[in-house]
This record gives sequence, structure tokens and C-alpha cells, in this order.
Amino acid sequence: MIAKEFRELRRDRRTVAMLIVLPVVLLVVFGYAANFKVSSIPVVVTGPGASQAATLLREPTFHVIEVNPAAGESVARARLRDGQAVVAVVTGGHGPLVLMDGSQLFSVETAESALGRIASANAVASPRVEILYNPDLTTSWVMVPGLAGLILVFIGTLITSLGVVRERQAGTLEQLAVMPLRAWDVIAGKIAPYFIMAAVDLTIIVAIGMSVFHVPFAGNPAIFCLGAALFLLVTLGMGVLVSTLSQNQGQAIQLAFMLVLPQVLLSGLIFPVASMAAGVRWISYVLPLTYFIEISKGVMLKAVPISDLWQPIGLLALLAVVVLGLAVFRFRRDLAPGGRKQHAAAMREEEPAAS
Amino acid sequence: MTWGLREVSVTRGRKQAIADVTVPVDPARITVLIGGDGAGKSTCLEVLAGLLEPCSGTVFRPPKELIGYVPATAGFYADLTVQENLDFSASAYRLSGREYTAKAAELLEKTGLGPARRRLGGQLSGGMQRKLAVGMALLHTPGLLILDEPTTGVDPLSRAELWRLISGAAAAGTAVAASTTYVNEAARAAWVVLLEAGKAAANASPAQILKDVPGALGTATGSARPTPLSWRRGASWRVWAPDGRLPDGTQPVRPDFEDAVVTATLASERGR
Amino acid sequence: MDALAEARQATRRFGQITAVDAVSLSVRRGEILGLLGANGAGKTTLIRLLLGLLSPSRGVIRLFGEPVTIATRRRVGYVPQTLGLYAGLTVTENWNFTAAAFRTRRGGPLPGSIAAWRKDVVGDLPLGVQRQVAFAVALSHQPELLVLDEPTSGTGPLASARLWEGIREATDAGAGALVTTHNMEEAEQCDRLVIMADGKVVAEGTADEITAGRTVTGILARDWSGAFALLDAGGVAVELHGTVLRTGAPPALVAQLLSGAGIDATVETIPASLEEAFAAIVAAPDEVTALAAPATGQSPR
Repeated sequence: MIAKEFRELRRDRRTVAMLIVLPVVLLVVFGYAANFKVSSIPVVVTGPGASQAATLLREPTFHVIEVNPAAGESVARARLRDGQAVVAVVTGGHGPLVLMDGSQLFSVETAESALGRIASANAVASPRVEILYNPDLTTSWVMVPGLAGLILVFIGTLITSLGVVRERQAGTLEQLAVMPLRAWDVIAGKIAPYFIMAAVDLTIIVAIGMSVFHVPFAGNPAIFCLGAALFLLVTLGMGVLVSTLSQNQGQAIQLAFMLVLPQVLLSGLIFPVASMAAGVRWISYVLPLTYFIEISKGVMLKAVPISDLWQPIGLLALLAVVVLGLAVFRFRRDLAPGGRKQHAAAMREEEPAAS
Repeated sequence: MTWGLREVSVTRGRKQAIADVTVPVDPARITVLIGGDGAGKSTCLEVLAGLLEPCSGTVFRPPKELIGYVPATAGFYADLTVQENLDFSASAYRLSGREYTAKAAELLEKTGLGPARRRLGGQLSGGMQRKLAVGMALLHTPGLLILDEPTTGVDPLSRAELWRLISGAAAAGTAVAASTTYVNEAARAAWVVLLEAGKAAANASPAQILKDVPGALGTATGSARPTPLSWRRGASWRVWAPDGRLPDGTQPVRPDFEDAVVTATLASERGR
Repeated sequence: MDALAEARQATRRFGQITAVDAVSLSVRRGEILGLLGANGAGKTTLIRLLLGLLSPSRGVIRLFGEPVTIATRRRVGYVPQTLGLYAGLTVTENWNFTAAAFRTRRGGPLPGSIAAWRKDVVGDLPLGVQRQVAFAVALSHQPELLVLDEPTSGTGPLASARLWEGIREATDAGAGALVTTHNMEEAEQCDRLVIMADGKVVAEGTADEITAGRTVTGILARDWSGAFALLDAGGVAVELHGTVLRTGAPPALVAQLLSGAGIDATVETIPASLEEAFAAIVAAPDEVTALAAPATGQSPR
């Protein structure tokens, strides 16, 4: 029995992949990426005492990206809002004021302890700290926007792929191909219900987040919806793609799982992207969920205007076009072989005689 | 021929699935494709239905709205009720309310699925599931009905009922192309195409195929195989002599349709 | 002891449903018994009883004269409809696994019929070859009784005949075989047939005995499609054979209907085929008496 089971397993490539890939991924993640301590926090220093402050901050935790004596508090706040910096030191006035971006929870916690260290090391009083956007550093405020994305990933990729593969397994896909339906009708008809369900689920999650956990919705809902719609198109596209690569539901689940797991672990949902080692961080930049989380956190917590979100939105739009395009291309091939004529094939469609 | 394949070849991957096959399908007649597994029956029907492009040859078929197709697997939705399945087919073929109600009632009665209207497709027995699939394909009164192994694995009673449905469609003018592995079903067709390894080993009416059996046929008993061109039939052997000379110890016998099919298959095998 | 497998008044109930009702049958050395019946007739349950996968609510089941045990099951070769092969393993690996499970000599040579595919993964082989493999694997431990569930379903006539060669070879060497089938040609390959309906045996005998004396009505009409439509609409079950119609309805009724509609036809009584006999028997089981008692010998065809 044992020998037989091993032999069967050897031939089931997807399961083998999971057996090998899974531990490797987990090892990589927990080795290099899973880290709640952020190692290099971008800081902006403004005000008359900027250069002195910058000297004090010269330690590995902080990465001073801008020293701007001429700028004041409003510039500092602007940098935090558009995400260029996580910490801003405003010197002058009644003493230094440190502004921190509360939506980057772990960076802020790291920064706070680092500041304490610097203050005591230099025998200086701890400066005033104001935490923006998430003043109480509530974890749920940071998780809910990410969870919204997770829901979209599950429904978009996993559940959609199951729905389409079920059709293939049941043999009804062939029948659809023969009916007078355009390939586009079939694809849109299959994807639309999942799109709607995902939208409903998203609304529920956000509503619960706002009512039960008091997560704010500071920004423009329209931007959120745009980001969500684009992200959904990407995940739906991935779901359809998975279905074109799977013969049955078991295979679909395995493949979808392998696509979803990295997103859950490496997109900034749990472990902050900033804390990941550079060698691994590039993975999160490839994952669509990373960009959606940027958008959802930005809109919900920071009321970021669309002008500052053009990058993640643009990237999602591009991904949507590519993934969905590829998915539709492959799916059409399953439905309609026409257009692929080999050698010289003649085909006539005739009207039926009489009746 | 009104519809069908003319000298069609299809290559799938590295294999030649069918080579120069002609399948005539005419209104009010049933053309049956018979052959073993992998002979190319499904390929021919998929080409006819428009699911597959031929590499060479010509295909004649009516527009999609006039084709009814029942694939070898399923052909219906297991998670929908019988009624919902029919509703879906009706809207896919854009049947008007009145046309649909009348035809649906007729089909539900003919298939005996009336009482099971609200049962899920997946909960029906195998025979009833096939009847549902055929019903869905007949709903829009197609000019060409294509059935891929509609009766394989189905019990004899349901099989008879299925053929009544199919014959009824033919009697009403539909052109029918069906594949089967059961010889007695091919014997009932108006035209038979016997496929062996992608080639048409026989392509005529059943009566003609019977007439065309070459050589002589005999029967023999015993445990050992009499000649290389022998096969088991019940407790005895059938012996075929293509040159007409039966070996000693065999009794000549008049071939029936099953014999005709087997000899044609053997002849095709030898020719390869 | 003559019977390899025997059921004596075996009954099996599942709650309110009686799946098998007082069934008696036996499979003897050297014979092939065919089991026919519509879905739900009780064939599968009966097979399960004979294999010891279920125990009877009433009655007696015997394998090789003894109650069913692991030891007696070792002498049975079973091929289910799904073939019972591991699609992910090669032919040789399947062969060795079965040998190990039945504790026969491992690594014995593969029989000639499947040796050519010994390194091929079963899932990649065409169905006809898979069936050959399944059959060879079931025979590998030299069983005295073969139980085959629809052995040639989906294969063409020549491949089917070749499979039957293997079955006959085994029974000629002294084994017995119990075959369930939906296929009339296959039924005619068997020495004896048992027809079941609603859990009971409703007919037994050779194919000739079962069709003896049964007739149907044949109709030859120029306007065959009109005749078909008329009879069909009139609730008469008609079958189309080329352009000839056949029905179980009595010729007088048919002639009346046709002439009433002005359709010119020749109506005659013709012998029934096995399939038609089967349909008639299953439809009206109370009218049928068993055509051959199990204890008497049968003449091979």
C-alpha cells in the first residue's frame, strides 16, 4: 500500500509542487519577510533645526530622505499623506514635533522605540509625537482594508476558478460552444455573478469594519470603488486563467491556493512590506494585492487624493488588461476553435433544405 | 448529402484522429457512427458540431441555431432542476414563450420526466439524465441533431426510450448523426459509418454492409483459436476466410450484421 | 460441490427498500452467467452480497461452498465498472500491487496481451487497452470465480470479442464467471442469463430459451415516418429500424390504427429480439415463469 501511494504521488505533479513549494515559500517568508520590525523608515525633516535633527536621526532605523529647513508643518503633513515618508520631524516653533503615519502601524511602533532610545542616548527630552490617521494604533484599522482585499482575492481567484472548472468537468462547456452564444456572452455570464457577489461582500466587510471596529472612511469612496473594481478584474482574470489550466476542481484548488498564499503572506496584509528583506521585497511588488492594500488603506485611513494614487491604480489597470486579456484568450480557445485554420480547410455553412 | 463530412482529416497533437472520412447526414434519416474506443467517432461528431476545425476536407452544417448537440458526458447541469435546465436551453436558443411552453410540455411527456420536473439533474438516474440532455437538444427543433454515444452504459429500457425519442425526431424531419458502440443500434440506422483507427472501414447502409462481406464465414468449436482471423461468439468461434476457403473443421454460416462489422474492422486492421 | 458462487433465497433490505428479494442463483465451473436488469433492479446489490461486501438480511450466500471470508475472497477476481486500476501508476506497477495484495508471486511476467504496455501509465492508455489490463490484473492470481461488471462497456465489437476470448480462456480452464451487462450482444456471449427486476429474478435460461415463442409486430410502410408519428402519438411504443417499424403492440391494434389514418402498410408478426424479450419480461414480470430451473444442466451453444 505504502509503495503504491508513493508511486501515485510521484506522478501527481501539482501535489508534489505543493509538497515542495509550500515549505520553501513558508521558509522564505518566515525567514526573510515575516518581521514586525521595520528596518529603514523614511523620514522627512523640516524647519529651522532640520540639519541638527537629521544628525541626531542618523541611525540604521531611520532613513532620512529629505532635509528641508525652508519647509514647515504643512509640507511635512503632505509628505506623510502621499506616503513618501512615514515619520516627519518638524523643528522650530515650540520645540520639535514628530508626526507619524499611523496607517503604517509597525513602522510607527519601531519609530517610537527608536526615538526613545535616541532621546535618552543624547540626554534630550522626548519630543512631542502626533500620530496621524490612526492615533490609537488600532490593529483592526490597519487590518480591515487588507481583509477587504483578501475577500476579493478569494472570491475572484479561488471561487471563480471552481465555478468555471465545474462546467468543464461536467461536460457542459462543449454544449455551450455549440449553442448560438458568443464566446463573450459565456465569459461575461460566468464572471458577472462573482463580480457582484464580491462587491456585496466587500461592502459588508467595510460596513462591519466601520460600525463594529470604528474604522474610518476618510477618503473618497469613488476612488475606493475604482481600485476595488480594477483589483477584482485582476483576480477574476486569474480565476479564469486557473480554470483554463485545470481539468478538475481538485487541480483548480491547488493552483489557486498556490497563487493566493503568497499574496496573503507577502502583500503587506500581515507583515509590513517595509520590513521585508530587499531580496524578498520584489515579490510583493509583483502581487496585485499589495497595490490594492495601498489604495484601500490610503483611502480609508488617510483620505489620499487620486492624484497620489495614480501609481497603484495604474498598475492594477495594466495588470487587469494583461491578466484578463490572457484569460479571455485561453478561454475562447476552449469554446470556439474557429479562426485556427490549419492547412487549406474549406468550410461551408448552408441553409437547411426547405423545413 | 445535405450535411456531414466529406473527406475530412483531423490531426490532434501528433496523432491523426481521422483520415479522409466522409459521413453523410440527411434529413429524416439516422446516420450511425460505430467503432471502438479511440476510433474517431467523437472527433467526427465534434467536427460536425463545429467544435473542431478539420485539417482538410469539407464540413456541411446549418447555422448554430439549428444544431442540437448532446456530448458524451453530461450535456445538462447537475445543479439545476429539470425545469431550470430546459429554461436555460430555451433562452440560449432564444425561443419565444409560446414556442417554448408547447415544446417543453411535449418533451417532458415523451421523456417521462414530467414528474421529475423539480428534481436536480444530478439526482436523476443515468438513463433519465441522458433523456434530459436529449430533450434539451431537441427543444429548439433542430434541423441537425448530433449525439455522442447517447446510450453507452445506459440500461436497455432507457436505451429503447432514448431511441424512440431520437427516432421520433428523425420521423419529424430532423437529420440525426449518432455514435454508438452497440452493434444492434447501428443495425437499425439508415446509414452506417464504421470507424477503425480513424479510417472509415465501411460506409454504407446496413443492408449493403451485410452484402459486402468478402470471403466466407464459418463457425468452429474448441478452446484453441482456429485461425488468426477468428473471434469468440458465445461458446464457439467465428472463423473468417477472406479468400473464401474455410479451414477443415469449420461449418459455413451466414454472416449477420455483427459479423459484417467485425470482418470489416479486421479487414481495415490488416490493411494498416 | 458444484457451485462456485451461490445465493439461496437471498434477501437484502435497506430500511424500507428491499433491494434483493428472495433471489436464488448459482455460478458453476466452466460457465458464464449473465446478469441483466434495468437500473435499480438489484444487480449491484446482489454482486455485493456475493462478494461479501454486504450481508444478506435473509437467506444464504456461499462462495465455494463456504460463507464469504477473506480466504474465499482471495479466490475471486473482480473487475468493477471503474476498472479498479490506479490511473497514476504504470501497468507493471498495478500488476505488482495486486500481486502483493493477493500475496501471489511478485514480479511474475506480464501476460502477452498487455506486455507491450508494461511501462505505460494506465491513465494514458486508450480505454480498450485499460480494460485488457484490468482483466489481466484480475486474473493474475488465478481466481476460480470471475465477477465482471459491464466488462466491455464502451468498446467496439472487435475489441469486445477479444476481451471475451480472455474470459472464455479462463472458463475453459475451469473458472466460472458472473457478468453483469446492459449490452445484448454481450448477453448473447453468456451461456446462461438471469434477468432481474425490482430485486427479483424474473427470467432465467439461455438467450434462445428466453426469446422462444416471443413475438413482436413488424410494420413495413412507404410512409414510415407518418406511420411512426401516428403510432407514437397514439401512445404505442414504436422503434425505428432503418425504415421498418417494430412494436410490442398486437398486430390487430396496429393495423386498425394505421388503416384508420389511411396509411398503407404491411403488418406482420415476427420473432422478438433478446432486447425486446427483455423489455416485455421486465414490463410484466408477473406473467413470466422461470424458463429453466437452476439445478438442471444447460447445453452450451
